[in-house]
Amino acid sequence: MKRRDFLKNSAALSAAFLVTKNMPGFTKSAGPDLVVAKNAEPEILVRKAVEGMGGMSHFISKGDIVVLKPNISWDRVPEQAATTNPRVVAEVVKMCLESGAKEVKIFDNTLNEARRCYKRSGIEKAASEAGADVKHVYSRKFKRVAIPEGELVKSWEIYEDVIEADKIINMPIAKHHSLCQVSLSMKNYMGFLGGRRGQFHRDFDVKITDLNTFVKADLIILDSYRMLLRNGPSGGSLNDVKLAKTVVCGTDPVAIDSYGASLFGFDHNKIGFINVASERGLGIKDLNKIKIKKVDM
Amino acid sequence: MKKIRIVSQVLFLLLFFLLFFLATYPFTSNIPVEFFLNLDPLLSISAAIAARNILIISIPAIILLIFTVVLGRFFCGWICPLGVLIDVFDTFTVSKDKKRIYFPWIKFSLLSIVLISAILSIQLTGYLDPISLLTRSVVVFLYPVFILLFEGFIGFFLDLGFLEDFLFNVYDILKGTLLPLSELIFSGFIVISIIFLFIILAGLLERRFWCKNLCPLGGLLALFSLKRLYKRKVSEDCISCGLCEKNCRMNAIEEDFFTTNNAECINCMDCIDVCPVDAISFGFYKSSNISAKKIKNIDFNKRRFLKTAGLSVLTVGFFKAGFSDPVSKSKVVRPPGSLPEDEFLDRCVRCGECIKICSTSGKGLQPAVLEAGLDGMWSPILKPKIGYCEYNCNLCGKVCPTGAIQELELKQRQELSIGTAHFNKTRCIPWYYGENCMVCEEHCPLPDKAIKFVNREVIRIDGEKSEVKLPYVDETLCIGCGICVNTCPVEGERGIYLTNANEQRFYQ
Repeated sequence: MKRRDFLKNSAALSAAFLVTKNMPGFTKSAGPDLVVAKNAEPEILVRKAVEGMGGMSHFISKGDIVVLKPNISWDRVPEQAATTNPRVVAEVVKMCLESGAKEVKIFDNTLNEARRCYKRSGIEKAASEAGADVKHVYSRKFKRVAIPEGELVKSWEIYEDVIEADKIINMPIAKHHSLCQVSLSMKNYMGFLGGRRGQFHRDFDVKITDLNTFVKADLIILDSYRMLLRNGPSGGSLNDVKLAKTVVCGTDPVAIDSYGASLFGFDHNKIGFINVASERGLGIKDLNKIKIKKVDM
Repeated sequence: MKKIRIVSQVLFLLLFFLLFFLATYPFTSNIPVEFFLNLDPLLSISAAIAARNILIISIPAIILLIFTVVLGRFFCGWICPLGVLIDVFDTFTVSKDKKRIYFPWIKFSLLSIVLISAILSIQLTGYLDPISLLTRSVVVFLYPVFILLFEGFIGFFLDLGFLEDFLFNVYDILKGTLLPLSELIFSGFIVISIIFLFIILAGLLERRFWCKNLCPLGGLLALFSLKRLYKRKVSEDCISCGLCEKNCRMNAIEEDFFTTNNAECINCMDCIDVCPVDAISFGFYKSSNISAKKIKNIDFNKRRFLKTAGLSVLTVGFFKAGFSDPVSKSKVVRPPGSLPEDEFLDRCVRCGECIKICSTSGKGLQPAVLEAGLDGMWSPILKPKIGYCEYNCNLCGKVCPTGAIQELELKQRQELSIGTAHFNKTRCIPWYYGENCMVCEEHCPLPDKAIKFVNREVIRIDGEKSEVKLPYVDETLCIGCGICVNTCPVEGERGIYLTNANEQRFYQ
C-alpha cells in the first residue's frame, strides 16, 4: 500500500522530491555538461555519448525502476523522423539493465492511435526485445498533481508511473515544430500528461517551463540520428529529413535544447521556451558557459 | 440430434463473436470477418437489387440457398447467431406450451417491403435483417457495455490492490489486442439497444417470437424450404400425446401431430427428443406421412401481398422524403472509398462492421442517426469530434461485406479526399484571441501540411496589438481526415469544422 499512501499524502511532496533529485548545476563535477557523439551507427553513438557523461552506472543504481521517455507520438516509421529512433531506445534499455535497473518502463501518451504509433515507430518491438516493459497509457493511471512552481500550470494530470519512478531518462528526437520552432527535450514531457494537453499551446513557453519545474530527468539523451527539418512535429515527407548521425547527452534540459536548436541552425536566444526556462533557472542556455565534449567517429 | 444442434449453435455463436473481435487493427491477414454477412442471402439479394448489380450476390449466400432448398430452414435452427441468443433467453419464457402470439404473415410482409423497396432503390434490409441487426447491436450496444463492465470489474480489483501486477498485465494485453484502448461511445445507442432488447425480451412472452413473426430472412428461407427434401416424419407408433406439438418452438407442427409446416420447421429436432415412443425422425422421405393432411405452409396471400406492396410504396416515399436537410447533409463525411451517395446507400446494409474496426483505429466512424436522412440511418459517417480518419488506415474497406466502401490501397486512400476542414474564426484561438496555437497544423498527417499560416499583426479583442500566425486551410491539399477538428483544444464548439466539400467518392 506504499504507493497509494504516497500518492494520497501529498502530491507536493513528490513534486519537491522530483525537483531536488537532480538540480542542474548541483551535480557539476569534472566531467562535461554535454556530450555530442557523431558519425556512427545509433547504438554506438548513444553508448559513446553516455560513456562521455560518466557511463550509465553513474545515473542508474541497482534495483532502480527506470522510466524511459522516447517520443512515440505519431503513426510514423523511423525514417520519417517524427519518433525517437528505436535502435537508440533499445540500446539505452540494454544499458539501463546492464547497470542493474530492476525494470525499464516505456510509455507515451501518443497523439495518433497508440497501437499504431507503438508499432509503426518500431519502438515497441525493439525495446521489448531489449528487455523493457512497454505498455500503453491508460486514463485510469493519470493523477492530478500540484505543480508548486508553476506560473500558469498549477496542477495537471500526470502518469502514475512517472511519479513513482526511481529514475527518468528523457529520450526526445530533434524535430522542427511549427509552434515553438523546435521540439527537443523540454517539450517531450508532454507525453506524460493526460487531460486536454492541447491547451498547453497557448502561452506554450511559460507552460512548458512550468512542466519542467516538476518533471526532471536524471539523464537526457537527444536523438538526432535523423532530424526532421520541416513540417514538424509530425512530418511525413522523407525530403524533410536529414541524416545527422548525432546523439547528444546531458542532464541540463536548457543546455540540451539550446544545443539541439543549434543543430537546426537556430539562435537559441530567439526560441521562447529556452529563454523562459533559462530565466527561471532551469539550466544554462549559453553554450559558451558549459563544457561540451565532442566524440566524432 | 438435439445435442448436435446445440453444439452447432454454440460453435457458430462463438465463431460470430470471434470474428467480431478479430475485426481489429492491425488486421493484416484478411480474416473473413464478414463471413456471416456474406452468408446471408437476404442482404446479398436486396443489395444486388437496390444497386442493380448481380455481382453483389455472394457465393456463400447462394450455397446457403441451395442447401435450404434441400434441408429447409436449418440456418435458423443451427447457424443463425441471433437465433442462438434468442434460444438462450427463451429458456426464461413464461409458458412454453401455449401459443399466444403467432402472426407468421408479418415476416412475409416485411420481406416483401424490403424487396420492393430495394427495387425502388431504398435499402431497408439492413434495419430488419437479423445478421445485420445483430452485428450492429453488438457493435453499438453489447460491445461498449461489455467494455464498461470489464473496466468496472478489473478496475475494482486494481483499486483494491488485489493481484495488482498480474491483473494490470492482463488488462494491458487485452486492451492492446482485442479491446480498444479508450472507452467507446456510439451515437444511436439508445434506439439500437431498445430494438435489440425488444427482440430478445419478446421471447419471454413467446419462444422465437422474432423468428416466427418478424424475421424477413426467416421469411425468405421459408419460401425456399417449401419443397424441401429433408423432412420430419412421424411413424405409426405415434400415440398422439401431443408433446411434440406443444414443444415446437416454431409452431411448425399441426394439431394432428403428423403434419409439419415445411416453411416454418427449423430442424431443431426437439420433437425427436420429447417423443416418448421414438416415433419421430428426420430424413429424405418422398412424402412425409401417409396420415399427414394438406396444409397451407405459407401464411400469405395475394390480398396481403397487394396491401404490402402499397405499403412499400408509401414507405419508400416516406424514407426518400424524410429529413433530407441539405445543411446537415453537408456534414455527412463518408469513409474513404465510399461509392457515390445514392449507390452507397443502396449497398450499405448498416451492419456496422466498418464502425467496429474503426473503433480500434481512428475511432471516427459512427452510425448516422438522422444526419444522412431517414434512408441513411445507421450508415457510417465520420464524426470528427469523437474520432478521426487515420491517415495510415484502410481497414473499413477491407471489412465491408457489400463493397459500399471499396477496398483501397493505402496510397490510394492517402490521396483521396473525403471532405474539407474550415476554420470557425469566432472560435479559433489565433483568429479570435490573437494568440498562437497550431495544434491543428501539428496533427495534420499530410507531408505537405494542409493547414498553413500567414504572419499578421492583429488587434486583439482586448485592444492590444500582437503578431500572430493565422492558420488557413489549403483546400487543394486537405483530405478531410478530421484530426484537426478532433484535437482542437477549444472547449465547446471547436475552432475548426469538417464538411464533405471536395469529397471524391469514387476511386478509378
